[in-house]
Amino acid sequence: MTPALDLAQSFDSLIPRIETPRLMLRAPRLSDFDPFATYMQSDRSRYTGGPVDRNQAWRGFGHIAGHWVFRGYGVFVIEHRETGQAIGTSGPWFPEGWPEPEIAWTLWTSGFEGQGLAAEAALAARGWAYEALGWTTAISLILEGNTRSETLAQRLGCVREGGFSHAQFGATGIWRHLAPDAQGAGMEAYA
Amino acid sequence: MSVNLSETPVLTTERLVLRAPKSDDWPAFRAFMREERSHFVRPGDLTEENAWRAFGHVIGHWVLRGYGQFILTAKGDDSALGAVGPWNPAGWPEPEIGWTIWSPGAEGKGFAFEAATAVQAHVRTGLGWAQPVSYIDTANARSQALARRLGCAVDASAPVPGDEAALQAWRHPAEEAA
Repeated sequence: MTPALDLAQSFDSLIPRIETPRLMLRAPRLSDFDPFATYMQSDRSRYTGGPVDRNQAWRGFGHIAGHWVFRGYGVFVIEHRETGQAIGTSGPWFPEGWPEPEIAWTLWTSGFEGQGLAAEAALAARGWAYEALGWTTAISLILEGNTRSETLAQRLGCVREGGFSHAQFGATGIWRHLAPDAQGAGMEAYA
Repeated sequence: MSVNLSETPVLTTERLVLRAPKSDDWPAFRAFMREERSHFVRPGDLTEENAWRAFGHVIGHWVLRGYGQFILTAKGDDSALGAVGPWNPAGWPEPEIGWTIWSPGAEGKGFAFEAATAVQAHVRTGLGWAQPVSYIDTANARSQALARRLGCAVDASAPVPGDEAALQAWRHPAEEAA
């Protein structure tokens, strides 16, 4: 085995896998970079720091992996179980400059929209943050104008409680999630 | 929970231990990024947020490639003094050996040379890189001097990432410099 495989497998084994009816949330891998880069180069990423070129996307994806080491948690890659495709990310996320830790989500292609997959992933990710990390509250930061994500936040029971202006990304809404004891359908719903 | 880069090699030299980066190294990296000394290896307008993301990428590069920048530490003291290691982000024409000394107090002691010599051997035997390059700013005289000491020579035919006027590829020797 090559050193690269050893390390990737070791990293993979340190990060939980969360199964939901249609999805598997798992560690980011090199093979996820291509679909991630395609997303980040497209206009679809305009509310999550894009579009950027492939080289910048690489650094962003490296940061996604590194965030796990920094914080002990991070965003999972969402794998669509039926097709095996990596279709987005969701998970606890707290880079430098964020007002507080958030639950983040992205769906990389339009083909997987409109099926409730992002909600399924975000609920599982939120449940994991509450149960495994012991978070007592969580927000999601949503850039102004990202109405699809706002709809999803409402569907997850979030309530908008103000705004935050990020120096680089601009005006965002702060959406407060249901507290752990009120969330009802968290990770355990899919256990 | 904690996630560490286990399964990563540790290189030991006469005075140094080279190990994988970890979250505790962030303050030293941040301090370096705030200094004028780092201007060759960062954009001029680097914010704290983007410095954090850049260091996240330094860590994540290990996960994605299986190799990356080692953190230089003095034997017996785990404090990060700088980084030296194989580096191959998307967009690089070919893999390179990169180096940065973060702490001014660690300059002028030959630490970068000692670490880079160990990394030259490591990439040759561990990664099978026969003659990698190092991309160095044309105005970075200190780094050029180190490259010469490591036995490197400018390879004018090698493409460079980014600004062709600002960077040169220094080709490492096939064998360790005498």
